[in-house]
Amino acid sequence: MTNVSLEKLVKRGALWRGRQGVAAVESVEPTGWESLDALIGGWPRGALTELLSNRHSGLPLLMPALSRLSRTERWLLWTAPPHLPYAPALAARGVQMERVLVIREASHAQRLWAAEQAMRSSACAAVMAWFEHLETAPLRRLQLAAEQGGCLGILFRPISAIRQNSPAALRLRIVPTAAGLDVEVLKRRGGWGGGRCLIRL
Amino acid sequence: MLWTALYFPQLPIEILTVGLDREIALAISRSHRGRETISRCNAVAAAQGICPGLPVQAALALHAGLRVLPRSEADEASALQGLALWAYQFSPRIAFEPLTLLLETGASRRLFGGLEPLSRLLDRELDQLGHQYRRAVAPTPTAAGLLARTRPGATAQTPESLRRQINDIALAQLTRNPEVRALIDDIGLNSIGECLTLPRAELARRTGPRLILLFDRLLGSVPDPRPPWQPPDRFEQRLELPGEITHHTALAFPAQRLIITLCGYLLGRGAATQHLTWRLEHREAAATEFRQGLLKPSRDAGHMLDIFRERIERVRLPEPVVAMGLTVTGWLHFEEQTADLLRNPSDAEDGAFLERLRNRLGDARVQGLSTVPDYRPERAWRWCGPGTGQGDDTDERRHPLWLLDPPCPLGVREQRPDYGGRLELEHLPERIETGWWDGCDVARDYFVARNPAGERLWVFRDRRSGGWYLHGLFD
Repeated sequence: MTNVSLEKLVKRGALWRGRQGVAAVESVEPTGWESLDALIGGWPRGALTELLSNRHSGLPLLMPALSRLSRTERWLLWTAPPHLPYAPALAARGVQMERVLVIREASHAQRLWAAEQAMRSSACAAVMAWFEHLETAPLRRLQLAAEQGGCLGILFRPISAIRQNSPAALRLRIVPTAAGLDVEVLKRRGGWGGGRCLIRL
Repeated sequence: MLWTALYFPQLPIEILTVGLDREIALAISRSHRGRETISRCNAVAAAQGICPGLPVQAALALHAGLRVLPRSEADEASALQGLALWAYQFSPRIAFEPLTLLLETGASRRLFGGLEPLSRLLDRELDQLGHQYRRAVAPTPTAAGLLARTRPGATAQTPESLRRQINDIALAQLTRNPEVRALIDDIGLNSIGECLTLPRAELARRTGPRLILLFDRLLGSVPDPRPPWQPPDRFEQRLELPGEITHHTALAFPAQRLIITLCGYLLGRGAATQHLTWRLEHREAAATEFRQGLLKPSRDAGHMLDIFRERIERVRLPEPVVAMGLTVTGWLHFEEQTADLLRNPSDAEDGAFLERLRNRLGDARVQGLSTVPDYRPERAWRWCGPGTGQGDDTDERRHPLWLLDPPCPLGVREQRPDYGGRLELEHLPERIETGWWDGCDVARDYFVARNPAGERLWVFRDRRSGGWYLHGLFD
C-alpha cells in the first residue's frame, strides 16, 4: 500500500478533506426531506451511512428514498433487523413489497457476511444492517463493498459508536423528541459535521 | 468416423488419491505366481526409488511409509463410468477399453468448431478433474486406443496416416489376449509394420483368423462394433476419499470433480438441474445428507461450486468424511439464456446473489414480506418467497414501521402503561375488534404513545384483560 496515489485515495473517498469539499459531484439519493437534503445533500450512493441512536432510530428518515428505490429492479435488503418491518406500514409509505428482502435471525458473523455480499453484489439498491459492535476493519470492508456495488449502505448503530473512527461517508446522530427526529451531522464526506435539523414525522 | 481415445495410465492410483490434500507415497501391487510385486506407483513413491516390478517387500524396505494397495478393477471400472458421464458432453457414442475411454468425435467435432478446439476443451477439463491421460485420434476405435497407449498425442485422420504411424509399434501392444499374444510370439515378427508387409494370405496361413481380424479392425477394413453405452437416467456418483476430511473447505476439491462430471453429463443430455443432493459418509456416524438448491436451472460447474462452498459452511459434520456422493434425479431441458443475460446483466447478478444468501443462510432465513388483508396487525403480514411480496396500499400511514412480534406486555404505574418511563397517550384510540370467526379474536384499543425519552410507541389495551402491550415502534 505504498504506491497508492493521492488522487486514487480521493476518488475512493478514503481521504477526508475538511472544508474544501470535493470537486466531483458526489452521487447521492435525495432523502425526500427538504431540510435534511439542504444539510447533507442526500444519501451517498456507493458508500456507508451510519445512523447512531439509542434504540435503532432513524428508519422513517429513509422511507422516501426506500420507496423510490423499490421501483428499481434491485433489492432493499434488511439484514437481521431488531424488530419486524411492518409490511402494511411499508406499503402505505409507497414501498413496492416485492423488492423487500429480509434476512431473519443471523449470527453477527453471518450478518456481516451477508451485508458485505449484498453491498458488493450490485443486486441491492439499499442494504440496511443493525450492529451493536463493529470493529473498524469490517467497517472498512463494508465501505469498500458499498463502493463496489454502488448501493446505499445503511448501518444502524448504538450511540456509543460515536467514539470510533469510521470510514463511513456520512454519520448522523438521531434523537427522538416530542417534536420529531432530531438529526445531527457528525461527519459528512467533503465537509465538516455539525449541522442539525428536526424532521417532523 | 474418427475416434478419440483417452488413456488413463494412472487411474488405478488416482482413484485412491482423489481429494487428498497432501501427497503420500502410493503403489498398487500385483500378485503373480505367488509373488507380490509393484505394478504401479505415484510420483512420490517413484522419488523414493520405487518402480514397477519391484517386490513389495523390497519396496517397503525402501520406504516404510509406502501405502501398498491391491488393484481393484471394479473401482477402476466405476471410475471409468464416471469419466464416461463427464465425456457424454463431447460425444453420444462412447466405448470402453481397459483404462481407456473411446469417444466417437467424427460427428461431434463440428459442434465444437473442429478437432483442435475440442481437444483443447478435453485437455482443460481433464486437468480440472485431476487425471493424467494420454490422448490420440484415429479412424477406428482399436487404432485410437492403441495409439493413445503407445504414441500419445498422435492424430491419424486418414487410413494412410494411420498405417504410417502404427508401423513401428510392437506387435505385442496390439492385444492383451494371451492366446493371440502366444501366436505373435510364435511367428517371429516384431512390429505391426512387418506383419502388414506380408501378403494377406501368407499372414492368414501363418497366424490364423484371429490376428487377421484384429488387423482388419485396426485398419477399419471390417466394422468394429462396440456395444453402445447409454448414460443412466439418474446421475449418481460416489468418491471414496483416501484420507479423512475434517475441514469443510477441503471438501471443495472432491466436490469439484463430482460437479464437473455432473455438468458434462448435463451438457450431453441438453439438460440443467436445480437440485443437487450431497451425501457425506463417515466411518461410524450416519451419513450426512443435504441439498444444494439453485435459483435457476444450471449446468455451470464454476457457479455450482461457488454455491457448494457457501452451502457446505452450514453443514455440521459429526465425524470426518470418508466418502462423498452426488445424486441428481430431476432435471429440466436447458434453455439458452445467454441472450437474455446480455440484455439484462443485473438478472444474472441478482440470481447469483440470492442463491449465495440462501445457500449459506438457509431458505427460511432469506424471505420477502407481504401484506395480508386483516385488521389484526399480527395477521396483516406474512413471510413469502423473495420477489413475491405484495403490498396492498392500505393507506395506514398512522401505523408504525416496526412491529413487535409477539406484543410485549407493559407494566402499569398509576394506571398508565410504562416503557422507559410513564407513557403519554397521544391520540384517541383506534379500536380493533375482529377474529371471532377463526378462534383468534381480539378486542383492543390502540394508542400512539410517547415515553419520557421522546420515543413514539404503538401500544394497546386489551379490552378483555385490561392489560397493556407494546406492539410497535415509530422511530
